[in-house]
Amino acid sequence: MQGIILFLLLASTYLMVIAKRMPALIRSFRYQSFFLFLVTFLAAFNEKVIELYVVSGMIILVKVFLIPYFLNLTAKKINLDENLGLFVNSQLSLVLALIFTYYSWVLSVNLGFGQGSLQSVAVTVAFSVIFIGAFMMISRMKAFTQVVGILIMENGIFLFASSASGGMPFFAEIAIFFDIFISVVIMGIFVFRINKLFTHIDVNKLSRLKG
Amino acid sequence: MAIFIILGIPLLLAAGALIIKRERLFGVINCLGYFVVLCFSIAIFKETVLAGHIRVLFNFIYLDLLSVVFILVTAIVAIAAALYSIAYIGKDIEQKIISGKKARFYYLLFNLFCFSMFCVPAVNNLGMLWVAIEMTTLISAFLVGFYNSKESVEAAWKYIIICSVGITFALLGTILFSYAFSISGLSKSLNWSDMVPVAHVLDKNILKIAFIFILVGYGTKAGLAPMHTWLPDAHSQAVAPISALLSGVLLKTAVYAILRFGIIIIKSGELTYFTHLMILFGVVSLVISSGFILIQKDLKRLLAYSSIEHIGIISIGFGLGSPLAIAGAILHVFNHAVTKSLMFFGAGNIVSVYKKHNMNSIRGVIKVMPFTGIMMLLGVFALTGFPPFSIFISEIMIIMAAFNNSSYFIAVLLLLFLAVIFSAFIFHFGKMLFGNLPKGMKIVGEPLSGKFVFLFLSFLICGVGIVLIFKYKDLLWLSQRLLQG
Repeated sequence: MQGIILFLLLASTYLMVIAKRMPALIRSFRYQSFFLFLVTFLAAFNEKVIELYVVSGMIILVKVFLIPYFLNLTAKKINLDENLGLFVNSQLSLVLALIFTYYSWVLSVNLGFGQGSLQSVAVTVAFSVIFIGAFMMISRMKAFTQVVGILIMENGIFLFASSASGGMPFFAEIAIFFDIFISVVIMGIFVFRINKLFTHIDVNKLSRLKG
Repeated sequence: MAIFIILGIPLLLAAGALIIKRERLFGVINCLGYFVVLCFSIAIFKETVLAGHIRVLFNFIYLDLLSVVFILVTAIVAIAAALYSIAYIGKDIEQKIISGKKARFYYLLFNLFCFSMFCVPAVNNLGMLWVAIEMTTLISAFLVGFYNSKESVEAAWKYIIICSVGITFALLGTILFSYAFSISGLSKSLNWSDMVPVAHVLDKNILKIAFIFILVGYGTKAGLAPMHTWLPDAHSQAVAPISALLSGVLLKTAVYAILRFGIIIIKSGELTYFTHLMILFGVVSLVISSGFILIQKDLKRLLAYSSIEHIGIISIGFGLGSPLAIAGAILHVFNHAVTKSLMFFGAGNIVSVYKKHNMNSIRGVIKVMPFTGIMMLLGVFALTGFPPFSIFISEIMIIMAAFNNSSYFIAVLLLLFLAVIFSAFIFHFGKMLFGNLPKGMKIVGEPLSGKFVFLFLSFLICGVGIVLIFKYKDLLWLSQRLLQG
């Protein structure tokens, strides 16, 4: 069961890699967060830890509803064309994403997670999500994608935390959730400001400061 | 308890900024608040030196020598920035650059920023440490983009994105540390004080990989090259008092975080690994920054690159790892914070009179602003490590330690690049401070609160330089205990 969910989580990440338009990206992010919720919920169910139930509740509240809603709202308000502006086209991006997944597997074996166990699969998925998030940030033109890229990386880290070390201490986890939400709001505010001042949100054209 | 007062006053002042409608009055209250914070941080420093370490609030707050040193540095730069803000913000309001409402917003953010920086050394839990450092980024992003010009918003965007990515890697590193802790069969905890005593039984391979993530992650925030690219933009666009806080304290809080993890690495018996990485990043920072300092045209960016250089020196100092080097590095943290604040305040005065950042059009500062000019001259010599100023002492300690460790290559590199940077600074500032007056420039008066902060900082620069020659044994004793936890 968990294996299937992990596989779906990875598949939703690949969906984000090939997304060319903003709504598709946000929708796939919602799927990814939902699968992350399922993984955490199953872990909570298996281990019978109340704190993990709370964390999974936080995931569904913040990452499945609040953040995608906020992103959609901002995208609507600035009212720009929805293309993400790909520096690397989607086919090549997908090939690179597969390569990242392979190296994440190598890394997870090196870290001493046993081959073939469910934990090693989870860690592999987590690392590849992190690397793909970082890759998305540098290979897309629009400021929005950078925000989504950070969120993808953080999803990967949460998966890693829950699968490798059985989650962080409870209050640290809650504080990190709060922090992520605030950071998305603040980045949204800056996307607004950039749009207002520059009349575009293309990051590659932000080049006034040099040297 | 003193630590609650230190953390509470900035929060109270932040609330006060919302309530009190008169900006000038609030500026003075702000200063008084930070004076109290400074007094209490000196008290807590003394208390910790005597007691070794303090735990309060069910181990949530844990203070040892390392943390109180950073709290003290933060308090000193915070009071200097608060003092300077009165004159600087007052002048901005007079010239109608910002409204009174925006000035209150500034004070709100200023206090929240200081609060988050006081949190970093106080918390025990490594997850909370991460949260506190991310908080500093989020709050100061508004202060970088404060003037809402194209340049400042661009700088703020780069700052928030690059630092958030960096810090995400740091979170990954933190989780790897926690994983190493959990597979060793001990109870689940992210408390630093729980991790250090058992560091030697943790899995070394995992710790090594985790430390790479930590160093890259927090190193981004600390401005270590090659992850420094946000730093010159943010420092040059921020409000002048905030530039001082960014350079003087914010970078050091990230260094503090690296050291916290570094101590665990050292205790697990991987000293050489720690040494190599810190020295590598330090030397790269030194080399890259010296190149940019040579060709720089923008005054505030010049100072920002100099911050990268000094972070490099600090990193080399901690990397060398002998008590002498660590004493030098800790002293350098303090000296750099004080000196760089003075330089940024001076640069703020210059920019507000000349209305330009470009050094080619700034000439004859000493004639236009005699007081600021002379202070800047003093600051340049202090910053580039000229005796008898304090940075000279800390740099010579680090170089001596390098020779003692027989790392001759490092010592020679340090000396070479310090010489290059010295000459570049004298070249740039010689033209700016002396040079012929541009047309239509008049002599400008300077407000008293502005002058006072320069005197305070220059007293610290000169005083520490002289006093420490006689007190170095105490310092060595301190630094020996510093990395003990």
